[in-house]
Amino acid sequence: MNVLIVEDEKALTTEIELFLAGNNYLCETCYDGRTASERIATNLYDFILIDLGLPDYDGLDLLKEAKKHNPEAACIILTARAEVSDRIKGLDLGADDYLPKPFSLLELQSRMQAITRRKFGLKNSVVMLGEFEIDLTNRTIAHNSVLVNNITKKEFDLVAYMLLHKNRTLTRSQLSEHIWGSVVNDDYDSNYIDAHIKNIRKKLNAFGAPDWLETVRGLGYRINLNS
Amino acid sequence: MKLGTKLTLFNTISKLVIVVLFVLLLPVLIRDINQKYTDNWLRRQKDKVLKLVQGEGIKKYIQNGEGYGSYNALLKEEYVSMDVDSTNEHIDTIINEARVVERDTIQYRILSHTFKVGNQNYLLEIGKSISTINETTTPLQNIALEILLGMVLLTILADQVYSTYVLRPLGRIIKTKLIGHKFPRPTPYRKVRTTTSDFEYLDISIHKMIQTIESTFQKEREFISNASHELMTPISILQSKIENMFGSEEITDEVKERLIEMQKILNRLKAITKTLLLISQIENDQFLKEDTVQVGELIQEVYDEISIRLQEKNIKLSINIPQEWTLVRVNKFLLFNLFFNLINNAIKYNKKGGEINITGIVENKQCAIEIADTGIGISQEKLPHIFNRFKKFSKSLQQDSFGLGLPIVKSIADFHQVKIEVRSEVDKGSTFRLILSPEIMK
Repeated sequence: MNVLIVEDEKALTTEIELFLAGNNYLCETCYDGRTASERIATNLYDFILIDLGLPDYDGLDLLKEAKKHNPEAACIILTARAEVSDRIKGLDLGADDYLPKPFSLLELQSRMQAITRRKFGLKNSVVMLGEFEIDLTNRTIAHNSVLVNNITKKEFDLVAYMLLHKNRTLTRSQLSEHIWGSVVNDDYDSNYIDAHIKNIRKKLNAFGAPDWLETVRGLGYRINLNS
Repeated sequence: MKLGTKLTLFNTISKLVIVVLFVLLLPVLIRDINQKYTDNWLRRQKDKVLKLVQGEGIKKYIQNGEGYGSYNALLKEEYVSMDVDSTNEHIDTIINEARVVERDTIQYRILSHTFKVGNQNYLLEIGKSISTINETTTPLQNIALEILLGMVLLTILADQVYSTYVLRPLGRIIKTKLIGHKFPRPTPYRKVRTTTSDFEYLDISIHKMIQTIESTFQKEREFISNASHELMTPISILQSKIENMFGSEEITDEVKERLIEMQKILNRLKAITKTLLLISQIENDQFLKEDTVQVGELIQEVYDEISIRLQEKNIKLSINIPQEWTLVRVNKFLLFNLFFNLINNAIKYNKKGGEINITGIVENKQCAIEIADTGIGISQEKLPHIFNRFKKFSKSLQQDSFGLGLPIVKSIADFHQVKIEVRSEVDKGSTFRLILSPEIMK
């Protein structure tokens, strides 16, 4: 998929590009609004990531142009100026998502994946993990067609997030940022993730061993899936 | 005591003191005046008698050396006497002396005067009884007291009316500019009408001070907002770099562990910055209050989010909120954060096997939500400071925090006109009571 990254911080652009390229996205980058405006008018993209704080351009204007020339593209606003009104304006202008800085690259990919699923209506969203079936659309886990019905929303979120980033070790910080990221909170400790994982294992073990869920000693957790 | 009351009290007391002093002095003054008057009268009588003696001859009054005496017959208020004076002294005095008149001893004011007719000296005495002189004193004293008291009452009344009138602008300054003034909410300047220049000066000075304070507050808020915004991009870059490095296959697990340490520290920086930004956004009124929220449901949502944290310490949490309690014109995101932080604290500072009770109560027709824990509690001297930013009290706690949880709670509560009261006892637990303003209750 083609992604245009519009971001004036070169260091950040480089990292986003590096990460997305590693996940099989084709990236183009530009560091100012004028260049971005030209690219949007001439090329077609699947994703346009727009930083609102460009030095020469109002990011919201760029969003309008993108909606005009690239109506199929999904636009995600990236911004450090997390003004509440900006968020509302951005979404009103047709942005598909809004990601305030600082964001995790994993979170960015997760949002892009969600948009893809929504936009392109992926029907076959059931993934087999060992003996377990993970239904990403209906948000359920089943074992040989028997529903594991006591999985909570948070627990499913964790499994789905690790599944999206399969074969990659996710740290406790990354996991807790995903499930508690919207809460502004006094804690920066992420050991509660261990309790969640423990509960998930316990619930799944009643059906079968979830050996695909690996604890990576000292680092975090990982879902292993060879496809 | 209010200034007006003090002035009235002082006026009353000082006037009463003057009146009492005057009334007490009155007898002395009157005696003095009466005496002078009597003396003059005595002298005039003397002149009259001398004229009579001159015209009619002394023989008419004194014959064969027998003295003349005349009394105001019954009451003996006055008398005149003339006699031959054998001594050769010249006397002309007025003194108080007693005389025996028909067996009564009476105090008289007596004029004694010697005069010569032919070769013979005569002594003339004219007396007026002192009781007649003094009989006017008491009624005069009474009348004076009555009149003066009346006048004092009148002036006190007048003073009261005038001082109330003059002090009214002061009262208005206190009422509108000082009482209930909430920082940092900018208020337009409304001049207090007064003709007293001191009050005008006071009014303007207070206004200028408030303006200075408010602009300082404003600058602080802008600074925090700008600083935290500016920090977001660098933090974002660092976070992305760490994530990309962590994901790369080439580095060893030891390096990865150190990257996790870095990530944790970065998370701390991120949490502080986000919190400061949130507080500054609340204080700059950037959040809309358009949501309608059922309290019980909201707390249940928080519970779902936070229940995993109860597990480790085996804490029992009970929620008892009336079903019909609904908040209107509030911001759900902020209230969620408020309850999250309060309940999170109640877990964090609780003991193993402790309890948390969340209860809706109605007291004095006001609805309140109480969050009570059975934790380590807060000591009395620390209690007033718990809402200050970056105040950390329990260093021994295992969990890390940076002392911004309660400032978030306070900012959100203020934003929704929710009053917070805290009761706490060390080793017994703390209770946070959120008093809901009727404006946000449905």
